[in-house]
Amino acid sequence: MTPVADVLAQPAARSLVRRLRFIEPSMILWLAMIAVLVFLIASPLVRLVVSSLQEPETGRLTLDNYRQAYGSLRHLQALLNSLELGVGVALLAGLFGVPIAWAVSRTDMPAKGLVRLMVLGAFITPPYLAAVGWILLAGPNAGWINKLWIAATGASQGIVNIYSMPGLILVVAITSFPYVFVFTNAALDLVSSEMEDAAHILGAGKWRTMFRVTLPLVLPAILGGLIISFLEAIALFGAPALIALPGRFQVVATQLWQFFEFPVRVEIAAAYAMPLLLITVALFWLQNRLLGRKGYASVGGKGGERRLIALGPWRWVMLGYAGFVCLLAVVLPMTVLLQAAFAKAWGRGFSLDNLTLRNFRYLLFEQTQAQQTIVNTFVYGGATAFAAIALALAIAYVVSRRLVPWTNVLTFLCMAPFVIPGIVLAIGFYAAYAPPPLALYGTGTIVVLAFVTRFLPIAYTSSAAGMRSISPEMEEAVRILGGGRLLAIRKVLAPLLKKNLAGAWILVFIPATRELSSAIFLVGPQTRVISVMLFDLSEEGNFEVLSALGVILLVVTVAIAAVGFRVIGRDFMLRRSA
Amino acid sequence: MRDVLNTSRRTVLKGGGALVAMGLGLHRAARAQEPRTTSAHQKQLYEAAKKEGELTWYTAHSDDVTAQALGRDFEAAFPGIKANVVRTTAQVAFQRVSQEIKAGAMQVDVLSSTDIGHYVYLKDKKLLEPYVPENASKVLDIYKGYDPDGYYHVTSAGLIGMGYNTEKLKAEEAPRNWTDLLDPKWKDKIAIGHPGFSGYVGTWAVTLRKLYGWEFFEKLAKNNPQVGRSINDTVTMLNAGERIVAATAPNGTLSQSAQKGNPLKMIFPPDGAVLIIAPSGIMKGTKHPNAARLFMEYLLTPEASKIWIGHFNESMRPEVAPPPGVTSAKDVKTIRPSVEEIATGIPEVIKQWRETFGV
Repeated sequence: MTPVADVLAQPAARSLVRRLRFIEPSMILWLAMIAVLVFLIASPLVRLVVSSLQEPETGRLTLDNYRQAYGSLRHLQALLNSLELGVGVALLAGLFGVPIAWAVSRTDMPAKGLVRLMVLGAFITPPYLAAVGWILLAGPNAGWINKLWIAATGASQGIVNIYSMPGLILVVAITSFPYVFVFTNAALDLVSSEMEDAAHILGAGKWRTMFRVTLPLVLPAILGGLIISFLEAIALFGAPALIALPGRFQVVATQLWQFFEFPVRVEIAAAYAMPLLLITVALFWLQNRLLGRKGYASVGGKGGERRLIALGPWRWVMLGYAGFVCLLAVVLPMTVLLQAAFAKAWGRGFSLDNLTLRNFRYLLFEQTQAQQTIVNTFVYGGATAFAAIALALAIAYVVSRRLVPWTNVLTFLCMAPFVIPGIVLAIGFYAAYAPPPLALYGTGTIVVLAFVTRFLPIAYTSSAAGMRSISPEMEEAVRILGGGRLLAIRKVLAPLLKKNLAGAWILVFIPATRELSSAIFLVGPQTRVISVMLFDLSEEGNFEVLSALGVILLVVTVAIAAVGFRVIGRDFMLRRSA
Repeated sequence: MRDVLNTSRRTVLKGGGALVAMGLGLHRAARAQEPRTTSAHQKQLYEAAKKEGELTWYTAHSDDVTAQALGRDFEAAFPGIKANVVRTTAQVAFQRVSQEIKAGAMQVDVLSSTDIGHYVYLKDKKLLEPYVPENASKVLDIYKGYDPDGYYHVTSAGLIGMGYNTEKLKAEEAPRNWTDLLDPKWKDKIAIGHPGFSGYVGTWAVTLRKLYGWEFFEKLAKNNPQVGRSINDTVTMLNAGERIVAATAPNGTLSQSAQKGNPLKMIFPPDGAVLIIAPSGIMKGTKHPNAARLFMEYLLTPEASKIWIGHFNESMRPEVAPPPGVTSAKDVKTIRPSVEEIATGIPEVIKQWRETFGV
């Protein structure tokens, strides 16, 4: 440094030191949190975009990756297939979810508790397990439904073939209609009966009122649910891998997987992932516009009496429909999964001499990896939930107390992973953090980091909502009495938010234990999770062992979640139980 | 009442926990025996390997059941070394290996692929650790000396024929030769593996392309076979009754399943069953070099060969003969392409396959 520069720099340095002295220690923590956010979200995304534009060896700017990604008819066809899948799933999920949500929220349909429980069942079933269940049900020749059909009619062929686009649409729709249900149900619960009364007075019947008044009022919520279902469908990897391959078609996710075959072509995968990213961003923008519109003032949550509509005999029809959907989504696939898990050979059917615990014994004692894999799954799920909530809470605190400028950037970063399909996130993480200098490949850390990123929006939404409900006065009292910010958080905020946080923990934990698409490129042999092991085992089509592993996953997840819900006294939509 | 319920629930939980712990304990106890080392060299390896404590084996050589049985037997033979057995198809195993190479973090110690081309590539890129097991000289002559430089060694072999479900099809109606699969009467009735996953199916496709040209596959596609991933999936498809004929039937897995009482039968085509010769090698950069070497020795022991034949694969050792009545490579006409043909052929047939079959 030249002497002149030295002199010039000195006062600046001194003033910086002086300023640093006034910074609270907690400020450093906030800055660290922000750095973490950039590390988790911005950096893998940027890495993804950059590598899609680079020559892998030289790092030179190129569009060649895009040419290779889109230069083949098959690759373009996969894109179209994904769109078809997404639209089909959204429509079918709407057809399943909206009527049930309406019946549960607005009518006197009986057995609502049971219907809710079934929807919860569909919510916690991972799509790849639903796919296994439906392969057992609707395999073109051996599936239960087809076997019954052939036995009953003497036909030479079955009637349903799961290995087809409609089959895949059905499987994905039954696992994603709960989104439509939850969105629609929540909105309907806020619509008061006044509008409906007005329609009645003006002479409209029940159905006309429903179609012309009630449903249009909650249209934005329905569309929100449909958009989520669409995005779930196009980003999904597991179910398409099980169904599309024997059905002889590809979707974007399975095609992305192919780019990871030898030789690994991350840069082409990145280029090919771009439409997925763009579609998602565009749809979220659309959803925001829809939900942000103010033209639906009656959905205000204030005042208004809400009465249930008496359906008369129609309530049994509605119950029948809800029962039918639950049959497709939960009862049938779960029955055949359980049968297969305890069967010597699933094709031999329901008989005592076909019963065995062999599949479980094999997994727990003979397989060298299953024990560790099961432990990994729940340890990573738990760690993910804790880490995501800690981070989300810190950010929500910074945002709600406006401790730093640009808080909306923080919010945006926290919510951004919502628009990143899991498999794309995994590619970004692989490109950014698998190689040196961090060299995280094969460690549990990279798996947990990816999961934290993926589920941060859930944790953040819950934390931010909780934070908004607490006025700053109480912590200000602590601070006036000489306590620091961290003390205030520990002694005031955390106890007040306990139930909120426990609920958020469960909401992150459940999807983290079943996550496949963001794990698939990141796990090593020591860090495998159940979903990946299921995927590996499914290569051989050994459905008995596969089902047994699925049953273990579901039983443990449900048990942990049930204990959690019992502790906080709320159900899965975080309603207070009566 | 509530308290009573709670107590009993807790007791049940505790009891269950204790049972599981007991089960695990018993299991561990059963494994803790004396090592079954045979030579001074292996003893030396074992002592060094004990310090490493474990090894990771990616294998496509067999189905999961056989692979896990080998892993468990290795653990019993050498107490104190844990075998992490990850069974996938050859191309998926290689995909993970490539990811590890690219990330500079080698996770696998011993790779047992069924696509011999993988070893040609890895050796060429200096990604294999040379090691000549002392047992390598004790195997059957046909398995000796595949790589003169000792980077990889044949550790398993198996046959691919066709197979059928004997409940759905009479023996005289079953196809006899590969080309019979093209008969339109098999439309919607054939199960097949995928060369983009299975090294067995890849080698099979290379062989049949050589015999009949790619037209064979174009015609086969018209019969709309159900495309799985692993070659073993075809056996599952036959058992479930989903399909009747397996175009790619692995003798080991199918015969194993038939022995359990499933209605299955192998067909060895007169044009030749495809003989798969599958090597193993130690990856460069392995964190458990001694355990990896010991495992290479183990794969070539008579004990390992006994497990192989117990699961209807080929024996590596002359002193371990297949049980009577079991068809092995010397009983039927076999064909196999050269290493060179496989190494260049598999990537080609995968590409052609994707064009013809769409996946």
